[in-house]
Amino acid sequence: MHQVADVEVAKNIMDANKRLADKNLKNLEEKDIFCVDFVGAIGSGKTTLIEEIIDNTDYKIGVLAGDVISKFDAGRIEKHDVPVVGLNTGKECHLDAHLVGHGLEDLPLDDLDMVIIENVGNLICPVDFELGSHLRIVVVSVTEGDDTVEKHPIIFQTSDVVVINKVDLADAVGADADKMVADAKKLNPNVNVIKSSLKQGSGLDEIIKVIEEAMN
Amino acid sequence: MHELSMAQGIINAVLETAEANNATEVNEVTVEVGRLAMINPEQLEFILGVLIENTIMEDAKIVFEEIPAEIECNDCKFHGEAILDDSDHYAPLVKCPECDSLSVETLNGKDIVVKNIVIEKPDDA
Repeated sequence: MHQVADVEVAKNIMDANKRLADKNLKNLEEKDIFCVDFVGAIGSGKTTLIEEIIDNTDYKIGVLAGDVISKFDAGRIEKHDVPVVGLNTGKECHLDAHLVGHGLEDLPLDDLDMVIIENVGNLICPVDFELGSHLRIVVVSVTEGDDTVEKHPIIFQTSDVVVINKVDLADAVGADADKMVADAKKLNPNVNVIKSSLKQGSGLDEIIKVIEEAMN
Repeated sequence: MHELSMAQGIINAVLETAEANNATEVNEVTVEVGRLAMINPEQLEFILGVLIENTIMEDAKIVFEEIPAEIECNDCKFHGEAILDDSDHYAPLVKCPECDSLSVETLNGKDIVVKNIVIEKPDDA
């Protein structure tokens, strides 16, 4: 004979990631390390921005470079003589706190004062996964179309800084960079929005300044 | 887009509880899906259906309960259920119902929770 029973499970599937994110943050704070997490569209300039920050500041930086299956980003960053760990998500569209936790184990944390995490290029999935960073910066560029911000509201609502990159190409691709700024401000009135052209060297100082303000 | 890992998490939670309660079969699973989780319940149901094959939850009915977005407004301090403007988005804009502000802290509605399961088990278990 069988009986039927109603059993409470009450298990939050997101909790496991949150707990690990908290652990990552605690681990970093114990070592006095500031952590910035870059999310953004594919090809928006995340890796370039990280390279520029490494080359134009004196921080001792370590990088966790997320990629779906390749090692290209990690390889690019390695050339700047900083410790870098490539994190491959395989089939997944986002980094999670578990992968970041293992990545941190492979960085020489005692020698660092900043960890930069580069997420997989995606404006949707990373929203659900805190990683344990102090600051989240979302990077998009005008070449993805000037409706990119309004089409992906939640990542702009939940990030601390918005970078609109490649503004020098706006006219060539028929995009209105100021519309993207206005859309981001509408979605997240308190967010810092910075227009940049990293290849032309504009906007970088402002981005570094915002990171430094968050550190203090 | 990450329904696969979510589905695996749900299945692990269900099977752990089912086994701990000596279940021979899982008849029903109730999953709370926050309105703001970046998950499409239809896709989640599809992938769950694939992954539960050949498990004791193979024939389970999966029930999704939507959890509304609870917010606190940074501008007017309203606390309660948000207005979700999804006229142009599947993932909705989260607005304060009192003052229309988009500057809000989300307190609830982002999670995926396995709430309970209905199982069959032997009488003497």
